[in-house]
Amino acid sequence: MKMRAALCGLLLAVAANVNAESLDWLKIVAFAAHQTDYSGVFVYQYDNRIETSRIIHVVEADGEYEKLESLDGPKRKIIRHHGQVWCYINNKMVQVDSQQVRIRFPAFLPEQISTLSANYQAEQIGVARVAGYSSQVILFEPKDNLRYAHKIWADTGSGLLLKAAVLGDKDQIIEQYTFTQLQIGGNIDRSWIGTTAPDSSLPMSQELAKGGTPVNSGWTVGALPAGFKKTMEIQRPMRGKHTPVTQIVFSDGLSAISVFIEPDDGGEDNVGGLSSRGAVNLYHKVVAGQLFTVVGEVPARTVIQVLDSIRYKGK
Amino acid sequence: MKKEISTLMDGELFEDEAEGLLNQIKRDSDAHKDWEIYHLIGDILRQPEHIHCDLSAKVRERMQDEPVVLAPRGREVKQKMRTFALSAAASLVAVGVVAWMSAQIAPETFPQMAMQQAALRPASVQIKPQSSEYLMAHQEFSPSMDMSGGAAYIRTVAYGTDGK
Repeated sequence: MKMRAALCGLLLAVAANVNAESLDWLKIVAFAAHQTDYSGVFVYQYDNRIETSRIIHVVEADGEYEKLESLDGPKRKIIRHHGQVWCYINNKMVQVDSQQVRIRFPAFLPEQISTLSANYQAEQIGVARVAGYSSQVILFEPKDNLRYAHKIWADTGSGLLLKAAVLGDKDQIIEQYTFTQLQIGGNIDRSWIGTTAPDSSLPMSQELAKGGTPVNSGWTVGALPAGFKKTMEIQRPMRGKHTPVTQIVFSDGLSAISVFIEPDDGGEDNVGGLSSRGAVNLYHKVVAGQLFTVVGEVPARTVIQVLDSIRYKGK
Repeated sequence: MKKEISTLMDGELFEDEAEGLLNQIKRDSDAHKDWEIYHLIGDILRQPEHIHCDLSAKVRERMQDEPVVLAPRGREVKQKMRTFALSAAASLVAVGVVAWMSAQIAPETFPQMAMQQAALRPASVQIKPQSSEYLMAHQEFSPSMDMSGGAAYIRTVAYGTDGK
């Protein structure tokens, strides 16, 4: 009997250790994503569709530069640097976002890790080969049905994420992206960097340049799933909107939910309803003259639950 | 009784228990019928070219009432399946068949999965391009950025709007 209890204890300790080790991988992956120079082609599969894109990521003295470019379909391009985002729109690069309040790096602070382990069961489930690299496969199984399972393949050498899948509660693939070709380090094309530096003459509107400002909006979400913590509450300009929009972001460590609140301008786009793209679900609804929009890499039921529990508590 | 017969067929009974049960089956005609039906179902699920014909007349009669055990179309058939599927041989074979089927579809699992998922998920409406500003705004603060960096932007519709 004693023996059995001891054995149980040992098994529990091992299990806890396994969990911790898997969570350590997250830190490695996040660090590698920001600190590695790489260039590669990846395939994104979602909703029965497939898209191929090229991504280049380099770290310069003034921060990270990243270029994402579609290889099939219409020409699409995104360049990011320091929380600023440029898009290829109408044959020119236009700045679409600028976030000075970006305080994310270094990623995965200890409290995030503890939130994560409270809501997901992390497990290393083996090694696999992706894009010619050997990778460690880690599965994050949610402890409730308000979030998706995440499966990641991390390069055992560099720690870079080589493949990631989001799984639904029947283990069906909601979305998946996989590198098919990847060069880590070495001679990577940087010729595009100068052309879109922030101080270049790219068109950018005044209010967008300001980015968001932290606020206490007075809005709260009553029925937030366990483990989601507020990471951001800002008032921000948004392209195509005349008035600033309040954005509140909640995260459980692996996925996030954004709540947008703005006065309803009666626009035709403000029709309520649910839509999705891959793992992202979006739910719109006009409530008492306010347009609520909830976006997140969570199941549809979660964005609905969140939107229906938005209340004004006052400042 | 049914459960015990099923366990017996699974080979999960101890020798003495099995012996007792077999004796009981010999004596009890109902149990004997169950025993035969379970074996018949196991045989049918294995899809042999020929099904043993040395079944008692009673079993044959019953089989005529529900001739297609493998085609789950009516509730009645489903009910039967539920009742009998516990039978060891049957469930083993069923698992085998499923495993075999998934092995068959494995190389192209994704499209199949995606199709199923489209049917299962309530939100099958694609996010409209007009809403991509929200996706962009959300993406910058999503933990997926920490994992996959800019590749996560692939989720924003067409990497941005069509310039409204």
